[in-house]
Amino acid sequence: MSERRIGVYICHCGGNISDYVDVEKVRAAVGDEPGVVVAKTAMFTCSDATQQEMVQDIQEQNLDGLVVASCSPKLHTFTFRGAAKRADLNPYQYTQVNIREQCSWTHTDDKAGATGKAIRLVRAGIAHTRLSTPLEPIVVETVPKALVIGGGIAGLRAALGLSDIGLAAVLVEKEPEIGGWVAGFEGMYPHAKGGRQLIASLWGEIQKRPDVTVFTNAEVIGKSGSFGNYQATIRVNSRPAETIPVEVGSIIVATGFDSYQPEADEYGYGMDGVVTLPEFKKMIDSSTGPLVYKGKPVKDIAYIYCVGSRQKPDLPNANRYCSRYCCNAAVHASLTVAAKGAKVHQYHLYRDMRTYGKYELLYKESREEGSLFLKFADDAPPAVTRDENSGKLSVTVADQLTVGTELTIPADLVVLVTGMVPRSNEELVKTLKLPVGKDRFFNEIHPKLRPVETVVDGVYICGACQGPKNSAESVASALAAVTQSAGILKKGFAELEPLVATVKPDQCAWCGKCQETCPYGAVEKVRLNDQDVAAINEAVCKGCGGCVPVCPRDAIDLQGYTDAQVKAMIDGLLKEIG
Amino acid sequence: MNYDMLVVGSGIGGMESALKLGDMGYKVLLVEKEASVGGKMILLSKVFPTLDCASCISTPKMAATIHHPNITVLTYSEVEGIRRDGDGRFQVKIRRKPTFVDPALCTGCRQCEMGCNVAVPDQFNADLVSRRAAYIAFPQAVPKKAVIERGGTSPCTFTCPAGIKSHGYVALIRSGKYEEAFNLVLESTPLVGSLGRACFAPCEEECTRGGLEGPLPIRRLKRFVADTHYRDHERAEVKVPAPNGKKVAIVGSGPAGLTAAWQLALQGHQVKILEAAPQPGGMLRLAIPAYRLPAEVVDQDIRNVTALGVEIATNTRVENLEELKQQGFDAVLVATGTPRAAKLNVPGEELQGVVSSLDFLRAVKLGTPTDLKGKDVVVIGGGNVAIDASRSARRLGARSVRQVSLESRADMPAHAWEVEEALTEGVTVLNSWGVKQFLGQGRVQGVELKRCTAVFDSAHRFSPQYDETTTERLDCDAVIVAVGMTPDTAAFAGQVQVNKNRTIQVDPATLQTSVPYIFAAGDVVSGASFINTAAGRGRKAAFMIDRWLQGKELNEAEFDPKLPMVDKAEVLQRQRSHSRRDPVVNPVTLSAEPRGFAEIEPPLTEEEALVSVSRCLDCGVCSECHQCVATCPADAVKMEMREQKVEAEVGAVIVSTGFKLFPADLKPQYGYGRFKNVITGMQMDRLLAPTRPYNTVLRPGDGKVPDRIAYILCTGSRDQTVNNPLCSKVCCMYSIKQNQLIMGALPLADVTVHYIDIRAFNKGYDEFYEQAKAMGANFVKGRVARIKEKEDGNLLLYYEDIANGGRINEAEYDLVVLAVGIQPNLEAGKLFPGGQLKLDNYYYVEEVDEDLNPGRTSIDGVYVAGSASGAKDIPDSILHAGAAAAQAAAYVEKVGRPS
Repeated sequence: MSERRIGVYICHCGGNISDYVDVEKVRAAVGDEPGVVVAKTAMFTCSDATQQEMVQDIQEQNLDGLVVASCSPKLHTFTFRGAAKRADLNPYQYTQVNIREQCSWTHTDDKAGATGKAIRLVRAGIAHTRLSTPLEPIVVETVPKALVIGGGIAGLRAALGLSDIGLAAVLVEKEPEIGGWVAGFEGMYPHAKGGRQLIASLWGEIQKRPDVTVFTNAEVIGKSGSFGNYQATIRVNSRPAETIPVEVGSIIVATGFDSYQPEADEYGYGMDGVVTLPEFKKMIDSSTGPLVYKGKPVKDIAYIYCVGSRQKPDLPNANRYCSRYCCNAAVHASLTVAAKGAKVHQYHLYRDMRTYGKYELLYKESREEGSLFLKFADDAPPAVTRDENSGKLSVTVADQLTVGTELTIPADLVVLVTGMVPRSNEELVKTLKLPVGKDRFFNEIHPKLRPVETVVDGVYICGACQGPKNSAESVASALAAVTQSAGILKKGFAELEPLVATVKPDQCAWCGKCQETCPYGAVEKVRLNDQDVAAINEAVCKGCGGCVPVCPRDAIDLQGYTDAQVKAMIDGLLKEIG
Repeated sequence: MNYDMLVVGSGIGGMESALKLGDMGYKVLLVEKEASVGGKMILLSKVFPTLDCASCISTPKMAATIHHPNITVLTYSEVEGIRRDGDGRFQVKIRRKPTFVDPALCTGCRQCEMGCNVAVPDQFNADLVSRRAAYIAFPQAVPKKAVIERGGTSPCTFTCPAGIKSHGYVALIRSGKYEEAFNLVLESTPLVGSLGRACFAPCEEECTRGGLEGPLPIRRLKRFVADTHYRDHERAEVKVPAPNGKKVAIVGSGPAGLTAAWQLALQGHQVKILEAAPQPGGMLRLAIPAYRLPAEVVDQDIRNVTALGVEIATNTRVENLEELKQQGFDAVLVATGTPRAAKLNVPGEELQGVVSSLDFLRAVKLGTPTDLKGKDVVVIGGGNVAIDASRSARRLGARSVRQVSLESRADMPAHAWEVEEALTEGVTVLNSWGVKQFLGQGRVQGVELKRCTAVFDSAHRFSPQYDETTTERLDCDAVIVAVGMTPDTAAFAGQVQVNKNRTIQVDPATLQTSVPYIFAAGDVVSGASFINTAAGRGRKAAFMIDRWLQGKELNEAEFDPKLPMVDKAEVLQRQRSHSRRDPVVNPVTLSAEPRGFAEIEPPLTEEEALVSVSRCLDCGVCSECHQCVATCPADAVKMEMREQKVEAEVGAVIVSTGFKLFPADLKPQYGYGRFKNVITGMQMDRLLAPTRPYNTVLRPGDGKVPDRIAYILCTGSRDQTVNNPLCSKVCCMYSIKQNQLIMGALPLADVTVHYIDIRAFNKGYDEFYEQAKAMGANFVKGRVARIKEKEDGNLLLYYEDIANGGRINEAEYDLVVLAVGIQPNLEAGKLFPGGQLKLDNYYYVEEVDEDLNPGRTSIDGVYVAGSASGAKDIPDSILHAGAAAAQAAAYVEKVGRPS
């Protein structure tokens, strides 16, 4: 191979790296590696100025390979590929070496060791680059249509949002009716808009859109193809059941949440008069005058907050998270009760009032309307009992706001302010290969950089299936998912990573092992020169490399990570530091 | 310029909207008021709850934004107004603020920053440290281009008739760059030492400090750099430019002629000065008494000029200007000043012993003074020259000097301080008297005065009125008449146009006479003025002559373009934390019986000079010291750059103007701004950031590493006393984030958080809160009533501990962090005329249909993204920005993209 011309840039990352790794030493140690013609350090390699410097170096020094030793490739692979591209260097001749997450941050107690490790990692990266070849992205045409799963407010708004910008939508709703939770609500916080009316207006608009197709009573049961060209299978649970194939470019998951269902006896749940927040919401939504429960006017209401949320870690399957919407919803409910005319004593037993942002105004108004707020300690939850004499419920709590005084509150109704829990969607998770987080909600790639994207290209999540949200917040995230989809589908094509498996057909004698091991169904058997050989569907292959080691004849290689490259990297890692 | 979308503000929300719309294929115009994109997020340390480095997350977005093929970014620009068309599109007016740096040339090397001599609180470090007036916003700035912050021209510089960058040399002295200061004055005039002594210093009258304890001694500072320079340089050391082949003759070697000669010679012209007097310098040499301006100083200043190769021919009176042309001069400048003394035209003026002030002063300066020892002298005139004559007469031993002024004391044209000094030196001033006649036989023996009842007529023209009946007789031995000076231009009358008052007529814009190659400047054009004014005119004449010789258009606008003068009230507002600094006193040595002509004003000591310059308020921010111009290796600094107006048509608008932080000094009980170790959450974020100012966490009061740190949540939020009932949504979490980072950076530090409710509501937040508790952060429910500062800088907090029986406790901390909340950025409402863009009750941009169309505003086609509509954390801002982008795209699809 001809002599390569490689540029190596080692990042201080402010101090994230250079506080522990002697970056100058690393630079000195790799500057003489074969093929290296530029070796520099920079305070922030990702900064625009350093990127410009790289571009300049690549052009002036005629570089044909680029190595940046900085942070995780998850953060900046695309950043530096972009820099390479601007300098007319093939972006796949760029290698990112992670000396932060995998080095400086892990070895804060051993600076010399961290520096040595960084040298080895960078040398491996240089070795990898030395054998790199120019690659071109796999271009696939995209279908200007998205599949929206879930017909709640988020799904409906997403479908409409897609249509608004010229993309077709197929909406699939499991239930016979669209609308989800919101369709069952009257006035919602903070603008007192009726949920039912909101859904009706969205539905009315969707019906005018020829490019939105809605299936109710339907589920997505299959997905194949790849980003930009997914083939999804929809089963409509009619009689007889019907399966409908659709071709879509992307998939927006908006499957919503379930309300937490208290255990029997949890805060007296099961006793007459102890209700969950959704049950209570239904009661107040359906009462036109003062609140009546079982024929008797309701005079005292006790709200117990954080039921099913912020649970202690020792509970099995504890919901450690805060459910975000419930403080606001409970306070809003108490305002609705107060607005119904009759004098009702309302007691709110809370841990932290999380009426964040402008919702603080609801909290303030609720206090002004006469609601009393009592704070209990995390380890001293209130107890709900029934007074045998009066037959009335009573709630006992040690109120921190009154010096820890133990108070007993009589209640006609005890409202358990229940949180949101992830909906169980095992089939869908399996079908779409959706990532699930520690809290069992669907997981985004990055809460800030890529909040609606999942690790599955072209599959987006929005609304409460990603984490607790109220209606307006769900709508915002649904529109963000529309934006994300449109970023790809409006263009009409997508570029996929060319880091995929390739088969050397002359070495393949079709044993089928690769096909068995491929989790994506990317390997096909094809006939070539009267021989059965394996072939890779590039658009489906994820480049996981699983097929490479199982091939008994070494007939498969992974572009960008060829066997030769990996071996060279190992040599680089093992070379004496000197 | 047409774009599909305008995005206002490039914080994380604005960048997200712009990037996503760009990805969809829309053409986006992104306008950012700061010099870098990135908003506030890039300034943070790490972000909750993932503890990602904020730089690491922001910089790729920033770089992607600026490099996106569909996004045009205008940084350091402000949207002045947006108007919605009948067809649903928007006309946008944008002001591109001048950066004074050509971005195409700037490499971001920061040399200008290193050389800059003005320090400004660094807003990108939450004012913890200072930056320079020439600066790059922060290390990760995108684009990484320098900006020079100029608030306008500083009053001292603005008012200087000689065009000297007074603020500039003050700033240079502050940095100990005396030689550079001297050279900066030389950029305008070679008369550094003379002006440092004899200038009447209008700069000091304009000095903003004058409205406080008293102005800076700007003139004496110039003398300081001149004295320092001349002390260290026996001969002028100047680089003589290569001759350009053109020859210029300058008639007259006063301030105007010398300055013009200097400027022309710097441009490579061969200059010859023709001076009628036996010595060069004009009035500097022949009129200003040595006790104010010693002859050596004039010599030193003139040596600057001759060192450039300028030839001065003395005793050479020029009467024929055309002859000079024939002698090979390509251009001629007439700068002959006002050498003729005006006459009173009263009886007896011809008597012996009556002399003109000019003759008198000239004789003194040339070493042939009139013998006045023991004589009674009367000086006629109320101006500065008359004062000079009076005081010189005293120095020559006159027994009495009585100065007669037409004007009342208050109206005397002489500067009041000069009159005071003259009085101290034993001069008697008689006001409101005119001269009826001089008395005597052959030799003057007295003056008969008549009462002057008015000096000016109703139109303020000089038209003295007398009461001829009220008279007074002064017996005297000598009279010096100082009643004005006029040009001596009789010889030029046929060659150039000469006015009735003997001044030469020129085009005031170009200083060109009726003969194209003849220019005139200084007092010969304006009548008697001041040396600084004459020097300035000479400089302007040189600029014009140089252009004329190059065949360029004579455009006045290009001569010394100045930014408008700064508003002093704004300067004082900006510098409101200035401490009291009294001026250095000016102990002029005055004697009731002055003898000799030794200089009466002492020089500033170096210490006095440094104390004096430390009082400068840096009114214009940039001092125009020109160090950046000199040091920039790319020659990118362009001081002549001016703001540009840009107009654009766009299809939809996204307002992402972000938020402001609560000004913590509005909670006086917490002492922010008074107690040095009370800081804001943003300041703590800066202390923790990878680009942190001190490279460690320390308290600003004394640099001590804090052991006990307290947080006060809800500072400025949920607080009716500051009219903000809203929760700011992020302060709990950023405090918890900082707790964890502090415990990592300072393992021994104790962190206590005083809170009302911990609002850890978003995904992963409550878990993050639990993690902080597990790491040892101490959470105390209850408010802090007040803070007291101890002598050692520690802080006593008085707080309620609700969870432990509601006791009122006192605790001592090394450092207190106020978790300041979020406030609306009121700029958003000003983008559209007449309140079209509706704001909510709390002045955030109102979302009119949050339930179904989050981000939609009161104007169709205008969307709000991120915290411009209310406090939001980063994830919510990003989602909100995505929502705004989807709707803006939908709107543009509906109304059609601008062609």
